[in-house]
Order: sequence, then structure tokens, then C-alpha cells
Amino acid sequence: MSDDAPPLPRQREPFSLTNLAIDALLIVVALLMLLPLILLIGNAFKTPQEMLAWPPNFLPQNPTGENFRAVLADTPLLRWLFNSLVFALLSTAAIVATSALAGYVLAKFTSRILDVIFVVILATAIVPFEVYMIPLYFQVQKLGLLNSIWGLLIGYLVMSFGIFLIRQNVKASIPDELIEAARIDGANEAWIFVRIILPLIRGPIGALAVLAFFQAWTAFTWPLIVSTTTESYTVEVGLALFQTGFTIDLGRLSAASALVLIPSVTVFVFLRRSFVQGVASSGLKD
Amino acid sequence: MGKGLKIDRRRLLGLGLGAAAAATIAKPAIAQAPTLTVWSGYPEMEPFYRRVAEGLRGRVSGLTVNVQPIPLRQHEQRLALALPSGNAAEVIELGSSTATRYVEGGFMQKAPAAVTTAVRDASRYDPFFARSGSFEGSVYGMPLFRGQGALFYNAEMFTAAGLSGPPTTMAQYTEYAEKLTKRDGSGRPTVTGWSLRLGGGGQGIAEKFWINMHQYGGALVRQNAAGKWSSGYANEAGRRTLAQYLENVHTKRTCLIDSPADAEAFQRGQTAMFIRESWVIGDTAKKAPDLKYATAPLPVGTIVAPVFLYTPATGAKGDLAWQFAMASNEPENLVWLLDNVGWLPNRRDANYAPVIAKTPQLKAFVDMPQGHTLFELPAIGPVEEILTRLAERLVRAFANASLAGNTAGIDAMLREAAAETDQILRREGLYGA
Amino acid sequence: MLRRRLLVFALLALLPTLAVYAWVRIVPIGEVIWLSLHRWNLMSRNKPFIGLDNFVELTRDPLFLDAIVNTTVIAFGVVAVTVPLGLILAALIYHRTRARLAGFYETAVFLPHVVSLVPAAMAWKWIFDARLGPLNAALGWFGIEPQSWLFDPVLAVVCIIVLCSWQTLGFAVVIFIVGMKNVPHVLYEAARLDGATAIQAFRHVTVPMLRPIVLYVSVVTLVSGFNVYAQGFVMASDTQGAPGRLVRVLVLDMLENAFRNYRFGYAAAEAVVLLLVVLGLTLIQFGLLREKGGRS
Repeated sequence: MSDDAPPLPRQREPFSLTNLAIDALLIVVALLMLLPLILLIGNAFKTPQEMLAWPPNFLPQNPTGENFRAVLADTPLLRWLFNSLVFALLSTAAIVATSALAGYVLAKFTSRILDVIFVVILATAIVPFEVYMIPLYFQVQKLGLLNSIWGLLIGYLVMSFGIFLIRQNVKASIPDELIEAARIDGANEAWIFVRIILPLIRGPIGALAVLAFFQAWTAFTWPLIVSTTTESYTVEVGLALFQTGFTIDLGRLSAASALVLIPSVTVFVFLRRSFVQGVASSGLKD
Repeated sequence: MGKGLKIDRRRLLGLGLGAAAAATIAKPAIAQAPTLTVWSGYPEMEPFYRRVAEGLRGRVSGLTVNVQPIPLRQHEQRLALALPSGNAAEVIELGSSTATRYVEGGFMQKAPAAVTTAVRDASRYDPFFARSGSFEGSVYGMPLFRGQGALFYNAEMFTAAGLSGPPTTMAQYTEYAEKLTKRDGSGRPTVTGWSLRLGGGGQGIAEKFWINMHQYGGALVRQNAAGKWSSGYANEAGRRTLAQYLENVHTKRTCLIDSPADAEAFQRGQTAMFIRESWVIGDTAKKAPDLKYATAPLPVGTIVAPVFLYTPATGAKGDLAWQFAMASNEPENLVWLLDNVGWLPNRRDANYAPVIAKTPQLKAFVDMPQGHTLFELPAIGPVEEILTRLAERLVRAFANASLAGNTAGIDAMLREAAAETDQILRREGLYGA
Repeated sequence: MLRRRLLVFALLALLPTLAVYAWVRIVPIGEVIWLSLHRWNLMSRNKPFIGLDNFVELTRDPLFLDAIVNTTVIAFGVVAVTVPLGLILAALIYHRTRARLAGFYETAVFLPHVVSLVPAAMAWKWIFDARLGPLNAALGWFGIEPQSWLFDPVLAVVCIIVLCSWQTLGFAVVIFIVGMKNVPHVLYEAARLDGATAIQAFRHVTVPMLRPIVLYVSVVTLVSGFNVYAQGFVMASDTQGAPGRLVRVLVLDMLENAFRNYRFGYAAAEAVVLLLVVLGLTLIQFGLLREKGGRS
């Protein structure tokens, strides 16, 4: 993280045994965290016979691509990936839009009504989705949106944490004087938001986007009840149902899972820097 | 002149082509774009429905059939949500015990006269199926296949243990299990003698328990003369059944809670015998084609879970759906079903002999001995809840070593569970001793 | 006081968000509470009002009680693992911010958080598998008896806690690192001048300064712990998995009552209990952290 050069507790930069030990420890921890995923990918290349071997081989002895071929041929995996992707992107867009606007207003406009609104929003943040999922389902059903990405989206249009994050950030990093100055210059409120505020909160918006994207990407319970047709599954649901037949084929399931890892990992590795910086600049400590 | 004409001609040509294209696209769309969606709870049935659709395409031009099989639990869940709201597929495959609540609620369509006649034709279907698919004197479901239990046993292991044939009494099941169990140095079984259903998802555990209890003359729930229901397992039959599980798990240790179980274990040679439905045959043919195994009827009788095809009451495509249901029951399709999927077709007048000759394991399911008794899950609303709750209690009891050989403890457990069953029945207004 | 024109803009700007909130949050939550006082099987038109009967029945329902105990143990277990471990890891990674591998540490720790749940749960299920899994094989190297991880009532819950912690840890670490970056540097300087070791500085500077963030992460982790479902769903989903009861969690029980037993009022009552538990715990957590803050 040489790029964001934060103020650091001063270290003796030259060789240090302590640092070496810490590095060694962190490498072990990092590898342990990745191990399940590595094993999963390893399993994806195993033949059915090797899956049953004892003691288990940590990595395949005779790697085969058969599992991948079978999964791509027998399941609409790409379709599921597409659904997940569209759902996650739309959800991200909706959450970013609502959070940016509401977060800004709640940070910079003072009024008792707005305070009440903020408390209500915060309170709903801790209500687990599963609590109100069933009535929400009936709403989606009434609208005729079951088995569609729109139906999925209805459960993921807003994110209380997002509003909180933007509000804290705007409060901490944008001085009132800046907005007042613009008003004195005759700028209207919408212009101020779009031209002044938005560019200043790009960082936290990026971080929020990452969180929102993966929240939708890893959603499980909601898609499980809203999507009941094979074509409308998201990846999570498709994979979960894949393995509840009479007997499971772990090799194939691992192959499907390994394929699903690719987009998650790619997206995160690309967005990591902006994500960490975004959260960092959001003044979470308030 | 030339130029203008050229353009005109091109334009005309374009228009003409466009119109023609529009006509070809629009025609089937307006007249009838015959599409059918089939919802199934058995992923292995997909090729069967595709095959039926293929055959039907010759008669219904342009027919598209969309088969959507998902695991049974999710299938039931989507029906719970979709049927009352009118979002269900046109063809619904469902076991009669689960379908009853929808039929009673008016969500399923009555079969047309031709289907009713066919279903009631005793030369085609045992009257058992006509009854099971009917409500208040009308046929609602087209019989298709059934789940039915029997014993699967590993022939080589039996020979090696000096056993010449399958067990024929419940006492022999335990006795054989002991002989068949192979153990490591510490006495833990490496091959279980008799794989009992001790864990896994929910109601199956209670169903398997019922199958064993049926051999002792018991039933999980009983109906009285007035049509009311009550629990039927806090008694001698229940006690003996549970005692046998516990004896095998804890006393003789022929099968442990965490032993590999079910079809998977059988196919890998990790268990010598187990009770399961006929689909294991098709599954084994795919996954362990070299396994030498045989099947045998259970000592007294077994469970039958008939599965039907229904169509929703609100469906505009009822006629097509029934046409599909009838086509699915053509002998040629059913023979293919038995041969390739392994579920047992219910139609009796098709010629299954060649398939059975090829796969002798099917015999135990088709030719049942004289006096073999069959039972099915009661068609009452809370049946799943009753089974699931009992299953949870059974799982706990199976793991409880202190219950082994402890008749008082077993009785107490059964009494408590039965009280819960009765309570559920009471709540639904179905209870009557 | 806010000028009228500004208030109008503020309310107009909030309107879409508020409308969505009302539509997808507030109304459904209200409906759940209303539904919990009724008996409804989804199909019948009449929904008789039965007062608190559903709640009374819940107090006697062994499956629900099992579920709530399991869920509570899992939720608190995940917090107990994630928060301290997350703090330590964050401190170490932060300490090595300038190291070449810092990005790798962060990515490796955070990746499990963004990986789809089901593949992750499947991988762990294989790891824990008594007969085929590498965990028992690895234990074997040290001469430890193989354990039937998913079949023992205690171990099965431990497995779920491990799985959930593995997934949550990265989120906690990243948030903690961010918090550490925001701790004013002068405080460390002061601690160093007072002769504090790095560990003492962590204990007396970092931890107290991070209290609000610790609170936030604990609440989020606890709430998500109470929603655990997919993990149990995958672990108990076939005959080789754990017996259903061992990992029966609240959401699973709720969905089963709703969609399998057709008891929507009863399932709603469970949802209301979940709501009350989460609300109560959040309030307690806020109270606790505040109190501690006052004392130090």
C-alpha cells in the first residue's frame, strides 16, 4: 500500500527481526485464509475416483478438465453468472444513487424532520432482511416480478449503511462554507450536489459500490425464494440447488464454484485500492 | 426512370420481405405458440420429459416444452408460492400426498373426460392410483410413476459372509448386519452391515422409520372410522423399531451415526445393504456399473409414493397439458422411463418384461410376493410437519447411547413425540383417536 | 433554522429514497408484525386473528428453541472469534503497511468475504468431511484421532462458526485498518515518548481509539450471525451432511414453517422474535461499549 502513504508509526525501516517474524506470521495467515479456495480449485480438476481417495490429495494427481466441460455443457452456468452480474450492477447503481443523495442531504441540512428520518433509517439497518422477506415476497408477487432480475432488485434497492457512510463522510470532509459560497454565487441545490459534492465523495462512493456489489453478488436467501426457474437463478442459488440432488458430484460442483470465483476475485483485486481508500476517507470513526 | 424504379423496386422488395418475415414470425405467435412448461421435483426425470415432448412435437407443430426440474424441497416451495398466485407451470409433477392440499383448495384442474376414463380403466392402472389421484369423485392427477422401497444388497459381500440370500425377517436384518460388518482395529465399521438412515435432511428419516415400523405392523399415523387421524407409534411396533435402530448403532455397532450412508456408500462398497427406492438402480448403473448387487422385497410390505401430473386450475393451456400428460403415459415412453431413469411407471399394461430381464434388480419392485402390503403417506395438510418434527426427535434418539436397550427410555421418547404429532393434528382439526 | 427553500429541496431529494424505504422496508416490517398475530396458510382466504398464540406456541416448540440456541451460539461465537482476531491481524498488517506484501495480506484476508457463499461452504464441508476431508487427514499426521466434525452436536456448531468467521474476518480487518489509519499519529508519538512498547501502544492507544469502530463491526457481525442460513443449508443438505438439527438455525426454521408447513403467521412470529433479539442485542452492545468508554 505504498500508494496512499498514510502517516505511519515510525518504524526502524532497516532489517528487523520483529518485522520478519510478523511477515512470516502474516504470510501463514494469508495462506490459511486462501487455503479453502485453493483446495476448491484443486478439487475441480480431480476425477471422481480421486475425489474418493484416502488420504485425500491436496492437489490433483492427474488433472482433468472434464468437470469444467461437463458443468458448462449441463448447466446454464453462464446464464446464472449473467443474472448475478446484472443484478449486482443494478443493485449497486440503485444503492449508490440513493445513498449519495440521501447521505448528503442528511449530513448538510439540519432539521428535526431530517434527524427523525436518519434515526429511522439507522434503525432499519439492524433489522435482518430475513425478518421482512416474506411480506416483501408478496409485494414482488403482486407486481408480477417473480423470477426476474427486477424482482431480485426490489430487495436490494437501498442500504442503510450506505447512507450512513456517505453522511459521515460528507459531514467530516466537506466544509459548510464551500456549499454556502456556491449558494451565494447563485448555484441551485441540484447543481451543488452534482458539480461540487459528488466529485468530492468519489472515494467513499467507490467503497460503497464495492460493498453493494458483493452484497448482491453473494445474496442467497432472497434469490432462493424469488427465483424458481432455472433461467432466473443467480449463481449462488444455481450452485446450491446443483448439489441437493440424490447424490452430489463434488468434482463438478467444485468446477462450477471455481469458475464462479473468477469474476469475484477479478473484480475485487481491481477494486481493492479504491475500496480501502474509500472506506479510509469516509471518516468511519465518527 | 431507371433510378427511381430501382429504388422503388428495392423498397417494394424490402417491404414484401418484411411483411413475409412478419407473417412467419407472427403467425405461430397469434394462432398458438404452443409452449408448455413442466415443473418437476426430480432432476433425473428431465430426459424423460424431453423425450415425451419430442414425441408430442410430431402431433403439435411448433411445440416447445420447457422442462424445469429442481430438487424436491425447492419444487414444493415454488408450488406453495406459485399455485395460489397463478404463476405455476402448466404441467406439475407432484406426489399425491402433497398435491391434496392444492386440489382441496381448488388450485388444480379436473381431468377432462378422456383422461378420467383412461385413469379409471382398471386394465391400465391399479384402482389404488385412480383413488390416490382423485378428490370427491373426480380425477385430478394423471398417474405417472411411484417411489417404492425395497432392500438393496451387495451380492459379493453376502457370499463372502456365507449368506445365501436376503434377510426375510426383521430379526434377520440385525443378524445379517452383524455378519456383514467389516471393522478396523478399533472395532469401528469400515463397511457397515446395514446402512440405516440416521441423519440428513428432515422428513426422509421419519419415512424410513415408518418403512421399518411397517414390518412390525405399525404406522406413524392412523385414520379412524370417522376419518380423523392420530399418532400410531407410541406402542409395541414403535418400540421394536426404535430398539432395532439403537441396537444396530450402539450395541452391535453395525452402522454408526457418521458412517457413510445411503446410495453413495452402497455404490462405493461401504455398506452391505440398505432400504431405498428403485431410482438407486438407474443411479448405480451410471455411477458404479460394476457393482454386483441384488434387491429383495421387505419382509411384510413397503411404502408407495405415487407421483402424478397435474395442471393448475387457472391454466389456459389445460388441454395441451393433459395432452402432454397422456403422452407421458404411452407405453413406449414408460418402458423407456423404467429402463433409463429407474422410477417405476404406474401403468400396468405396458410390456416391461424386456427391461426387467435386462435389469433383474427391478423384479423386487414389480413382482411383489403374495400378501405384501403397501402403504402411502396420508394425504393430509400437516404430513410434512409431522414427519419433519418426528425426524428431528429420531435423529436425537439415534445418537443417544443411553437409550440402547432401555425400554423405559424408548417408550418415554416415543410418547413425547406422539404427543407432539397429536398436537399438530389437533391444531389442524384433524385429530380423532 | 433551515430556510424554507432548502428544506423543500432536502425533502424532495429524500423523497425517492424514503419512498423506497417505506415500500421495501417499513411496510413489510409492519406486515410481519401484523401477520404474526394471525393464522394463515397461504391458500385460505380467511386469516383469523389469534393474538399472541403463535408466540406462546414458539415457547414450547423444541425445533424453534434448538434453532434459537444454535443461532445465538453461532452469532456470539463469530463475534468472539472475528473481533479480537480481526484487531490483531489489522494491527499487524497496518504495522507492515510499507512492506511489499501488504496488498497481498489485505487481499488474501478479504477475499473470503467476497467469494460466493455456496462454493465457500462446499469447500469447507469437504474439509470437514470425516471420511474424505483433509482436516482429519492433517490431524492424522499429528496422531490425532479423526473427528466426525459435522455429526457431533458441539463440533457441528464449531464448524459453522469457523466458516462464518472465515467469511467475516476480512471485512473486520479492512474496517479496523481504516480506523487505525485515522488514529492521530501524535498519540503514538506520545506513547513512544512515555516508553511504551508497540504492544502497549496497541493496548492503550489503538484499542480505545477504535472503540466506535469495534462497536460498529460487532453489531454488523452479530446481526449477520443471526441471519446465518446458507451455511447451514449447504452443510445439512444431503445425507452425508450434518444431521439437520445440529445446524438448525433461525432462518432455516422460519423458512421451513412458512414454505413447507404453510404456517405463515407462525413463521412471521419467528421473524418478530428475531427482530426483538437483534434490536435488544444492539442496544445492549451500544450500552456496553459506551460504559466501557466512560470508565477508561
